[in-house]
Order: sequence, then C-alpha cells, then structure tokens
Amino acid sequence: MKGRTLHSEPPCRNRRSSLRVAALIGAVVVVLTGCSAQAQRGFLPGYDDGQVTNQTGRITSLWVGSWVAALLVGLLTWGLILWCVTVYRKRKNDETLPVQLRYHVPLEIMYVILPILMIGVLYFYTARDTSAITDVTTEQPDVTIGVVGKQWSWDFNYVDDDVYETGVQAQDVGNEGSFAQLPTLYLPVDERVQFNLDSRDVIHSFWIPAFLYKMDVIPNRTNHFQIVPTREGVYVGKCAELCGEEHSSMLFNVEVVSRAEYDAQMDKLRDKGQTGQLGVEFSRLQDADNPPSSRGEEN
Amino acid sequence: MAIETAPSTPSTRIPGLAPRRQTLGQSVIKVITSTDHKTIGYLYLVTSFIFFGIGGVMALLIRAELFAPGIQIVQSKEQYNQLFTMHGTIMLLLFATPLFAGFANVIMPLQIGAPDVAFPRLNMFAYWLYLFGGLIACAGFFTPQGAASFGWTAYAPLSNAAFSPGLGGDLWVFGLTMTGFGTILGAVNFITTIVTMRAPGMTMFRMPIFTWNTLVTSMLVLMAFPPLAAALFALGADRRLGAQVFNPENGGAILWQHLFWFFGHPEVYIIALPFFGIVSEILPVFSRKPIFGYKGLIYATIAIAALSMTVWAHHMYATGAVLLPFFALMTMLIAVPTGVKFFNWIGTMWRGKLTFETPMLWTIGFLVTFLFGGLTGVILSSPALDFQVTDTYFVVAHFHYVVFGTVVFAMFAGFYFWWPKFTGRMLDERLGKIHFWTLFFGFHATFLVQHWLGVVGMPRRYADYAPQDGFTWMNQLSTGGSVLLAASTLPFLWNVYITWRNAPLVTVDDPWGYGGSLEWATSCPPPRHNFTSLPRIRSERPAFDLHHPEVAAMDHAEPDPDLLDQLLGEPDRRGERDVARDRLVHGSGEPEQSSTTIIDDRPRTDRSDGGAR
Repeated sequence: MKGRTLHSEPPCRNRRSSLRVAALIGAVVVVLTGCSAQAQRGFLPGYDDGQVTNQTGRITSLWVGSWVAALLVGLLTWGLILWCVTVYRKRKNDETLPVQLRYHVPLEIMYVILPILMIGVLYFYTARDTSAITDVTTEQPDVTIGVVGKQWSWDFNYVDDDVYETGVQAQDVGNEGSFAQLPTLYLPVDERVQFNLDSRDVIHSFWIPAFLYKMDVIPNRTNHFQIVPTREGVYVGKCAELCGEEHSSMLFNVEVVSRAEYDAQMDKLRDKGQTGQLGVEFSRLQDADNPPSSRGEEN
Repeated sequence: MAIETAPSTPSTRIPGLAPRRQTLGQSVIKVITSTDHKTIGYLYLVTSFIFFGIGGVMALLIRAELFAPGIQIVQSKEQYNQLFTMHGTIMLLLFATPLFAGFANVIMPLQIGAPDVAFPRLNMFAYWLYLFGGLIACAGFFTPQGAASFGWTAYAPLSNAAFSPGLGGDLWVFGLTMTGFGTILGAVNFITTIVTMRAPGMTMFRMPIFTWNTLVTSMLVLMAFPPLAAALFALGADRRLGAQVFNPENGGAILWQHLFWFFGHPEVYIIALPFFGIVSEILPVFSRKPIFGYKGLIYATIAIAALSMTVWAHHMYATGAVLLPFFALMTMLIAVPTGVKFFNWIGTMWRGKLTFETPMLWTIGFLVTFLFGGLTGVILSSPALDFQVTDTYFVVAHFHYVVFGTVVFAMFAGFYFWWPKFTGRMLDERLGKIHFWTLFFGFHATFLVQHWLGVVGMPRRYADYAPQDGFTWMNQLSTGGSVLLAASTLPFLWNVYITWRNAPLVTVDDPWGYGGSLEWATSCPPPRHNFTSLPRIRSERPAFDLHHPEVAAMDHAEPDPDLLDQLLGEPDRRGERDVARDRLVHGSGEPEQSSTTIIDDRPRTDRSDGGAR
C-alpha cells in the first residue's frame, strides 16, 4: 500500500452536472415561493381575507424571511455535501492519495465571520419583533380578560363587565362534533385586549394557534400579553403544556365578534347569574391542608 | 520501531478473560466483575442498545395511538402519558447518555495509547449505578399506578405528590438520581484518564477529535449533572418528606424549570458532542485525508460547550419569566461553531477520494439529517417564532432531527466502523446498506411531516386529536414511517448474528486501510492492556503515519507555528523529506509495519515472526 505519487490531479469539473444542480435549486425556489397562499405564509395558520390579529402579519413575515434565509444556507450546505459525494468519489484503480490538506486559514476565518453576520441580521429582526409582540406597557387595553387555567379546562373572567364563563374539559375528543360543549372566549374585534393568565393548579399554556402566540399559565405568577383581534371568526384554542391526564381535552373556542355581539354575550352571562370573578382559590394542592378561609383573598 | 514478538501462550478470546475456553457461567462472572475498560464499554453499549429497543417499542405504541382520532391502543390517557414520559427518559438518560459512556470507554483509552482508564473500579461502579438506576426508573411499570407520567421534564408542580401520586414517580426520581451519579463518576474517570494517561508524544493537540469531544463532554457532565442530582433530590424530598422546595407559592414552578434546563440544555450537547466526534473520526478515513481545520474544530467544540451552558432558558421563552434578548442571542451564537464544524466536515471531504463503506454512508446520513435539525434550531431560537411552535410537534420534529440525527446515525456509523475493533469481525456491507436506507427513509417519513403538524397546531404530548383538526393524514404518514424505521433494526440484528457466526476474523490492525488514530495500531480486538508496543506519535494521525510512512514524511504541515509551537513544539524534521523522496524513487523504504501481534484462536501456522506484515 505504498503511495506512488502523492499529489493527484484535481478532478475536472463537470459543467453539465453543475447546470443540473442550478436548475434543481431554481425549481425548488419556484415551488417554495410561487404556489399557494398557504405556502406564502410558510404554512402558518391564516386566512386570505385578512390578518387575525395585529401581530400575525409581523410574525408571518419574520417566519417566512427566516425560513428563506435558513433554506438558502441549507441548500448551499446540502449542495456542498452532494457535490463532495458525487464529484470526489474515488475512481476505480486510482490508488494515489489526495493532497493531504489540513488547514486553510483564510477560508476558516471566512466561515466564522459570515455566520456571525447572518446571525446578527436575524437577531436584529428577532429583537425588534419580540419586543413588539411582548409589549404590554405602551398602550392601554380596551378590554381586560382574566384567564384561569385549571385541570383540565379554562375559566374566563371578563374583568370590565364583571362576568365570567367557566368550562369543563372536552368529552371524547376523537369524535366529530365534540367541540360544541367547549367553553368559548368572546373577544371584540379591533379592540386592544389584555390577557392576564393565572393557574389554579399546575402549569398550563394558553395557545390560540391562529393568533400565532402562546403564553404559559403558571401557578402563583400572573402573565400578561396584549393583542388586537382584527378578523371576526371562530378559532380553536388549546392547552400547550402537559398538565395531566386530560391535557389533550383542555380545549376552548375563541369567537372574535363585533362590539354589539360582544355586549350581548356579556348580558347573556349576566342573565345566567355568572357575575363576579372566579379566582385561583380552588386548587387541589392548596385545598389539601388549607381551608380557603385561612388564605388571603386573591381577587 | 520495535516489533514485539508474539507471546507464546494461547490467545485470549474475550478481552479480559483468562486464555482458555470458558464455561458460560465463568464467562458471565468474568464479564460482570470485569474492570477492563473495553468489557465495561461493551456492557454499556449492549445495555443502552437494549434500552434503545425498549424506548423504540414505546415510540411505536405512541405512534400507533396517534394513527387515528380517538383512543384505540392505550387503555387510558394516563397510560399514554406514561409511555411518552418513559420514552423520553429512556432515550435521553438510559440510551444516549450511557451510549456516550460506552463508546468513550471502549475507544478513548485506545486512542490515547493507555492500557486502561484511570479508575477501573470506579468505572465498573459507575456502570452498575447506571444499570440499576435505569431499572429502578423503569420499574414503575410494575406498580399499581404505573410509571411516571409527568413528562421527562417533570415540571413542578405537576410532578409533586399531590398531582402525580404513586410509586412510579418516586422510582423515576430516585432511579434517575442513581444513574446521574453513574454518569458523573464516569465523567471524572474520563477526564482523569485523558489528562494523565496519554502515551508519550500524545500532546493535547494530537489527540483524536473523538477523544477531545469525550474530554469536553465529560466537563459538561460535571457542570450539568450535579444540578440535576440536586434538583431530583429536592423533588424526591418534596414527594416523600413533605418538603416545599418546588411549591409554587415559593416560585417553585419556575425554579424547577431553571434547574432542570440548566441540566437539560447541556445534556443535549452531552449526547451530541461525542457523536460529532465519531463522525469526525470516520470522515477522514473514507476521504483519505486528514480532518480539515483540526484546531478550529476543537475550538468550535469548546465554544459549543461553553455556549451550551448559557442558553438553558430558551426552553422557557413562553413562561414570560426570562430575559428573552439575552437567551435568544446566545442561542443563535451556537449556530456559528456548529456551522464551523459543518465546514470542517465538508472541507475534509473536499477534493478527497471518497469511498462509501457503511460507516461513511451513516456519516453522510448524519450530515444531511442533522443539518435540517440545526436550521429549525435557528428558527426556534427566535422568541417571536418560538411562541407559536414551542410545545408543538414542530419541536418534537426538531429535536428528533437533532438528537436522532446525531445519536442514532452516528451510533450506527460507529458500530459499523469499530465493529472489527470490538469483535475482530466485519459487519456485512450489503445488510448494512439495507439497514441504512430503510432507516433513512423511515426516519424522514416519520419526522419531516411533524414540522407541518406542529405549525398548523398540534401540541406535543396530546393523546388524542379531533377529526376536524385536519391532523389525521399527517399522523398516518408519520406512523407509517415509524413502522419502517423500527423495521430497519431487523437487518442490523441479523447482521450482528450472521457475522458473529460466519464472518472471517480480521487479521490486520486497520481493515479500513486509512485509519488515523491509535486504535488502528493495535490488533482487532486489542489485547487485555491494549498495546504490545506503541508507534511513534508525531501527528494527530499516528496509525496513518505508521501504515503510510512515506506520506507522513512528505506531508508534514503545521499551520502558522505560534509562540507555543516554537517553544515546546515539534522535533527537528529537516532532511526527512529528502530521505523519503529518495526511498520512494529507489523503492528502498521499509515495508509497512504493524507494532502488534495478531491473536486469534484459529489453528496457528507460521506466526512465529510476530505480527509484522
């Protein structure tokens, strides 16, 4: 196994195969950008007749932009791997060793600097959009909703109207039509809503997929976020943090309606006698050895 | 170079055993009381592979349950929760982590030219802690309320005695603490071995990448596992002794997440870095080139390890309790050294002469798969995007691309690569290729579609979903893929069996021909204390230098010698090139030599000259 000549000829490049690679990349780009509205949203939930909240447009464009950048990097890297695999195969009867290259310092510096620059760009847009999405201080909300997570459903406190809605978990999720008995959260369209999230027992997560946002619901910690729903419609909501046996049944509906319908719904709750607010004082954990009277009032 | 003569005694068949045929009982006793690093390594590898099988069967049950809306397979959602909890626990803590210990135990001492690890008995003790801890953690399945069901992350307060009563949770907590101590002791052992037991000439910057990664990983273990042990003990105290450490009224809900992820994120790199090391060993051999940018690759590994300690809270973006910009920036920065590694790997293949034996195939499969996991990782690092997809199947898909892509692909790469070193027999190439392609397509069919599933709204850890959710066809595709994925293990098991029975023994030190690190300079399998003599170590490829001396003499390159190199560095090599060229021209070079004796148990014929070929 003695090497006879140590430096082999560099393999000649095959122009036809590089053309083929270019055509393939072009086709992929066309498929990714050209086709449906769904693909243009990066497959995020959404509708063709308008944004669901004031933040979904911002999130979608960051999502799509990040994916385009990520896939370009990916295609470049996959392309380089594929290139090595196809072009630098060992040919039959070629027993000489290739050039034993160990370092190429300028190249190495280049592939440290370039990713740092790309990360910088992503970080800039991320920081800008994240602070916009999580901001709860600059604007006053029009409506305040208190959300209480519990095993395994939700209570919704309409703070301004002093009424509440209480829910139980979905029964038999796998069957069609089981969503009718779920608790429904009503939101007025085009008004700024503040959510105050509290948990009565374990950690839950308040997620409305169409809003492209979720926030954890943590016992003994009140989380806040604000959005402006901008499209009337019915959306599904889910618990997204494992909370016990019926985690997958901890579903709810969200209806974004006009102000008039919203007020009518508030009156309906008032007529049912669901006035006041439901607090966090009914925890299994806390009830075990503390009667509710011995603890401070929570609301 | 000295050539040792063969010992005249008969051969050793199983490393660490006395040189005669053993009865089964004797063999078992010898294996389970062994302090030989190779034997303990095989114990680790076999045990973790069995756990891999158990966790895989659980995954199949999970996928079968999700095939259609409704509950069909499991008896209750609680049972489903137990399945994914134990699947995650087994795969991360009882499969991937000890698999690292297995590979490190077998390979690392060979790579640094050491006869064994620094603390052989501690090594054995660590293994038994792992095995019994793992068995205790899984024993919950045999208790009335079943195994732990609060997810492998065990978020407080769901994991306390009020919300998750039952012995299964207690066994989980204390069993994992036990395996955790095994992992810590193993890491102490590896670090000490690497620092103190390197062969003469084996400087730090001549160590193989796998050994480097073992060192860095072990240091990560020392930083990450003690907090886990502390957190688990506290959780155990909460559950059994009525302590209040993770009571939410004291902020315990967030405290647990901080402690858990302070372990949990480095853990991801603890199970990734050694497997990066494995592919870094394989690529040069089948590209017939040295690793490209050796030092840069090591610095990238160290950078990844350092950054991995600073990013734990990116698992907690949605809690609203962490400083988003800091953790986003740190998380994104990890992409830089990871990218460096990718370019090192591609640079190693660049203008090489690649052959695609099975280990190389698995390595290419790793590159292709892990790259996509890395890209979705960058997407997830941005809180604005993470809010939507965290705790969904997007994350499930992401971490399977990352962890399966790394651990399983590189594990099989390592198995096929080092099988002759482990057993003295090659695995079958044809079966290996069938194995690879079924696993590759099975894996991507299972997990690629899960990205879409998460984006459109399927949360993780859901036992059930509704028909009108529109998740059904994607779940069915995923379940179908998982069947193919599981079936891919059958050719591997058959391969192991059939080559164990039929394959000829490997009689050379380096069956691949271009191995670089020291394990390829001793026999297959190595003798009890690994080497009968050591070759000169003058580069990071001592075995390659030994087997290809002309190339080694012609091709000695150090990049930009710095001050340290000038002071401590290299021996004077002037004139070597001329001599080598002269020998090349006149054909008077010395024949390739092996330093070790080939020992096998076939009838010996004319081997009295030692192993010199």
